[in-house]
Amino acid sequence: MNSIFNDPGFWHRLQFGFTIVYHYLFPQLTMGLAWFIVYWKWRALRTGDDKYNQAVRFWAKIFGLNFAVGVVTGIPMEFQFGTNWADFSKYAGGVIGQTLAMEGMFAFFLESAFVGALIWGEKRLGPRGHFAAAIAVALGSWLSGYFILVTNSFMQHPVGYQIEANGSLGIASMSAYLLNPWAFVQFAHNQLAAVVTGAFVVTAIGAFYALRGLHPVQARLYLREGTFVGLIASLLVAFPTGDQQAKIVGNHQPITLAAMEGKFEGGSMAGVALIGQPNVAAQRLDNPIEVPGALSFLAYGHFGSFVHGLNDFPKDQWPDNLELLYYSFHIMITLGTLFIVLMGFATLQNWRGKLESSRLLLWVLLLAFPYPYIANTLGWMTAEFGRQPWLIYGLFHTRDGYSKVVSNGDAIFTLIGFTGLYFVIGLLFLGLTGREIGKGPKEPAVATIISEPEREAMLV
Amino acid sequence: MIAIWYAVVSFMLIIYVVLDGRNFGAGMLQWFVAKTPEERRQVIAAIGPLWTWHEVWLLGFGGTLMAIFPRLMASAFAGYYLALFLILWCLILRGVSIEVGGHINDRLWQGYWDFNFVLSNLLLAILFGAAAGNVARGVPVDAQGNFSMAFFTDFNVRGHVGLLDWYTVSIAILAVVMLAAHGATYLTLKTEGPVHDRCEIWAKYLWVAVVPLLAVVLIESRIVRPDLPGRALFNPFWWIGLIVIAASAFTLLTGLTSGRELRAFVGSSFLIVGLLATGAAAIFPVMLLSTLAPENSLTAYAVASSSTTLIRASFWWPIGFGLAVFYFVFISRRYAGKVSVRRDTQGFY
Repeated sequence: MNSIFNDPGFWHRLQFGFTIVYHYLFPQLTMGLAWFIVYWKWRALRTGDDKYNQAVRFWAKIFGLNFAVGVVTGIPMEFQFGTNWADFSKYAGGVIGQTLAMEGMFAFFLESAFVGALIWGEKRLGPRGHFAAAIAVALGSWLSGYFILVTNSFMQHPVGYQIEANGSLGIASMSAYLLNPWAFVQFAHNQLAAVVTGAFVVTAIGAFYALRGLHPVQARLYLREGTFVGLIASLLVAFPTGDQQAKIVGNHQPITLAAMEGKFEGGSMAGVALIGQPNVAAQRLDNPIEVPGALSFLAYGHFGSFVHGLNDFPKDQWPDNLELLYYSFHIMITLGTLFIVLMGFATLQNWRGKLESSRLLLWVLLLAFPYPYIANTLGWMTAEFGRQPWLIYGLFHTRDGYSKVVSNGDAIFTLIGFTGLYFVIGLLFLGLTGREIGKGPKEPAVATIISEPEREAMLV
Repeated sequence: MIAIWYAVVSFMLIIYVVLDGRNFGAGMLQWFVAKTPEERRQVIAAIGPLWTWHEVWLLGFGGTLMAIFPRLMASAFAGYYLALFLILWCLILRGVSIEVGGHINDRLWQGYWDFNFVLSNLLLAILFGAAAGNVARGVPVDAQGNFSMAFFTDFNVRGHVGLLDWYTVSIAILAVVMLAAHGATYLTLKTEGPVHDRCEIWAKYLWVAVVPLLAVVLIESRIVRPDLPGRALFNPFWWIGLIVIAASAFTLLTGLTSGRELRAFVGSSFLIVGLLATGAAAIFPVMLLSTLAPENSLTAYAVASSSTTLIRASFWWPIGFGLAVFYFVFISRRYAGKVSVRRDTQGFY
């Protein structure tokens, strides 16, 4: 009997994939929002204009909700290396455990010590202390991103390791491991993508208030700065960071690049498919519309460069889900392009002073906020499906990595448990975030009328 | 080198248990020491804005364990698969109930999350206690260094043991009572008004209850592990642990009787540090004893990473630890003193 129920590797992959995708919905917003909050707090200190402080207070609450869900869904991630990927941890724990521990020691201690101060501590810390807390939280969240990307980069492009006497991996050079060139490219690309998410969410809430006619000063601030940051970050995600990411994949994982583009036959003047569906059985791209030479140029710098096709490689080295990889990559690229167009147009309209009067554009900006989440998720799916069939590229197969002692039923059981738990968490998160958005930023006029103890209770 | 890293990894877990243990304790007592919604929010405010910081110690422990003792981490986490997920889910539930409860000022809503809060903290104390019991007793490690086990088998402590047996259950009970006592001592320090007065009484009764339970567990441990303390008599950490236990028990006792709250809390924290450190020193170098065959046991020397990897880790760990202490000292001064219902409710905003 051969069904997915007999394939434990599948369930371990699905559980890790599901829990990490869900988890990353929250840190991508906190990493993106963190620098908005720092910037507004800085403006508040410089100008003394209370609208910036209101923005900080409002967004710190949204940040806090995301941070809390990020924490509770993040703790299982580290433990799943041991519970579900025990054989992988035995093999590579000496290397990747270092950065997972560093993430806790260097990044999370910083972030978690100050996040409470950022959300509730404005009174206790004073303006400068509050600003320092905002910086500490932003640094902590970005540092944690770096350590995780070093860990992932080691799996994409292992460097700085040595093979020990017992066959497992150890660290040969900590600097080579931490300064993996892959990690720099991926960090730049990933963090800017997080800023795109942050900018779209800030813009969407600005658009929501503008459409509702609420909080006009705050709405203008969010719209102006959200669209501008959104444009810059969307541009930088595509070029140079996305371009560099594709080049590094082309150089180190040519099979992955071929699979991402659905290229079965290699050749020079390789094109980029704008439209087309990979047909793995027939080994071709169905109904393709291609830009000739574009892939050769983007990946290797010349239109005539030779690009390998999948057929140049043995089939057991192909990524094991070509279609999903291809669609993930192409939809991500398409969304990224649309982000540039939308935010470029919105920035232009803002510059012409027509942003807030165009209800259609405001509606589009409001409804656009889920798409950066989708693009971020698809980017990660491209990275992780592209790495298959390897867990550590060229060193260790995914099928060798999962916990052999954990039975299938146990893995399915915990996956179902996570599904239920995360569904409830998602509902709570949306409900409470909706409430905060409904309450909105506090207007200064209200704060001056009410009594001091009430005000204190509101602000703290 | 490996012995030092064993001490470091144990130290991280012990810090976690002391810090979050007080939250478990305070959390499970919430219903008993706080009657009105405001009083209950006071208990949550006392656990306060640093609960995620406490949980980072668990993450730091997990990562360090993976880097330094990868084969132990892999065997233990996979072997305790379902039990570990119960812990993770309880941690999720606890975190959610802290964060969510205060967002809506409604009795029914808060009552529901307070219930989850109390329940998840109680379960966490039981689960961590049973886990400690499993480490002390040993698990059915096979010749390949792997194990998997049922929640319970015949409640015996030899051979094919389950997660729960008479020994691990009694340690779980001890953990619940002791962490409740620790939490009550902490709440006495951090709160004022009726919560403070109730906690003061609870702390005294609970610490009195700890004494016979601890005596029973010690006698049981002698039966379950007749080989202990054995080698530990030559381990300086074991003796240091005993001295810490004696000194902190005295501090705790004088603190409780004289009403000096900080003194009692320091004593209570170090008493738990001392007990766990003594236990960790006693079992060294065996990290997971096999109940099937002693030669299957996983020792620190057998499961550690190579010495070059350990040396690389020795460069960054002290820096990370120093920074963590620095942040903590900086931020905890901002939260010093008793929580006030008006200022620190962490809700109704």
